[in-house]
Amino acid sequence: MQGSNKQALTPNSTKSSEQVSTQLSTLFSEGLLLPQAATSAIELIINKALALNNNKSTSFASINQKTLTLKLAEFSFPLSFTVNTVSSSTSIIVRTHVESSDCTITTSINTLKKLKANQSLTQLIKQDELDVNGDIKIAQQFANIVQSLAIDWQSELARHLGDVPTHKLLQFGNKITKSILATGKKIEADIGDYLVHEKRLVVTTSQITAFNQQAKDIANKVDTLSARIDKLFSTVADK
Amino acid sequence: MSSTDQNSQISDLPTSPKTADTDTSSDNLAESKSTTHFGYKTIEKDDKISMVAGVFHSVAKQYDVMNDLMSFGIHRLWKRFTIDASGVRPGNKVLDLAGGTGDLTAKFSQLVGREGKVVLADINSSMLNVGRDKLRDKGLVQNIEYVQANAEYLPFEENTFDIVTIAFGLRNVTDKDKALRSIYSVLKPGGRLLVLEFSKPEHELLNKAYDFYSFNILPKMGELVAKDGESYKYLAESIRMHPDQETLKVMMENAGFEQTTFKNLTGGVVALHKGYKF
Repeated sequence: MQGSNKQALTPNSTKSSEQVSTQLSTLFSEGLLLPQAATSAIELIINKALALNNNKSTSFASINQKTLTLKLAEFSFPLSFTVNTVSSSTSIIVRTHVESSDCTITTSINTLKKLKANQSLTQLIKQDELDVNGDIKIAQQFANIVQSLAIDWQSELARHLGDVPTHKLLQFGNKITKSILATGKKIEADIGDYLVHEKRLVVTTSQITAFNQQAKDIANKVDTLSARIDKLFSTVADK
Repeated sequence: MSSTDQNSQISDLPTSPKTADTDTSSDNLAESKSTTHFGYKTIEKDDKISMVAGVFHSVAKQYDVMNDLMSFGIHRLWKRFTIDASGVRPGNKVLDLAGGTGDLTAKFSQLVGREGKVVLADINSSMLNVGRDKLRDKGLVQNIEYVQANAEYLPFEENTFDIVTIAFGLRNVTDKDKALRSIYSVLKPGGRLLVLEFSKPEHELLNKAYDFYSFNILPKMGELVAKDGESYKYLAESIRMHPDQETLKVMMENAGFEQTTFKNLTGGVVALHKGYKF
């Protein structure tokens, strides 16, 4: 918090334009309470998803009242997730600012994708793409719980749209998916064919250079032969 | 749950001394030893509590709906910002003063956990009843206490709370300086006070638009939805009579708070003041 917003709006002349633009974007997002709007939406989505979880063995007991904070390079504010379990009901509270977190992960969305692709956590930490502060077990438990969630989207959709529209919608979705997959496979096969067969027929730059060189050599040899013949003719004519 | 049952569980309001206290002069100059403001009207200090009570008894049931309508839902984000700034952690004791229908209490209750406690205090029994019903419907029962209390005479021991919040309540308090001193007393050393309140917009254009909205549209909305245009006229007037950002900061410092800061939200329509007791 600042004593006054006006002070913060006056950039120091020594600051770089990048710092000023970051400061302005932070002020803009804070003024419009964008971080709070974002956490509100994220919290709503997470808790809706939790309510739809069919896996009864999912247990949050071990991380009740624990907080995991995610600092993503793409966002100007952190996201903190706190678990609150009362009897059998669990909710996640999402905040933008937490003074003490059980585990803080500093990374980027791209690195998270790498993690999903099973790239080693240690390797990413060594490459300075990911930093973990606090109890890493908390992060692992959060990840395990997310993976254990089982949500039957089809039944949930049917509850809102009705059985027939849901069936039709999913059929249409499946068709589109199949068509996209088939197109993808065809493109893949075509590229394979091109690489295996067609690519061999295409003259490469090195082949053209070699051909040019051979043509030049032949031309030189013809010139030499022609010179020898001329010389022979002149010798015969002298005799 | 019956209304009688509900009332039986609310702690009784301690008897407030009816003496007219001398103001520390931080409040508006037009106030004297025995008078104060009720919107734009100057009234006897002793009358303010009952007049404000009348407003809130009248609007209690429609309070949440009207809040959403009047602020276009933004009050939820202002409250979220307050929670973010509170630094609340499991085990904390929190006093949500003038807590009304319990929006802040609901979040605090989830964040302090079983080891912590949240006290929802309001001078108005109707607001407290609506708040308690709402929180119980949400299943929040384990760590919340309800106390009907006047902010000027808080019925708690000294050094009790880690955090005290007062959201959209301070402007309705008769003697704000006394309330701030009372809050200071019940805070633990290291504890913090968060005051979320309407304030003065930073830009003149926004100020004019805000004035037009407050005095022309707001009372009509109140009339249509809550069938009580007068209460919402009072709301607009009380906001204008409330001390601006800098004045409230000074009042907090006079009450003993340290490291006092404020943050303007939505262009200064609302400001969040924060101060610590050390």
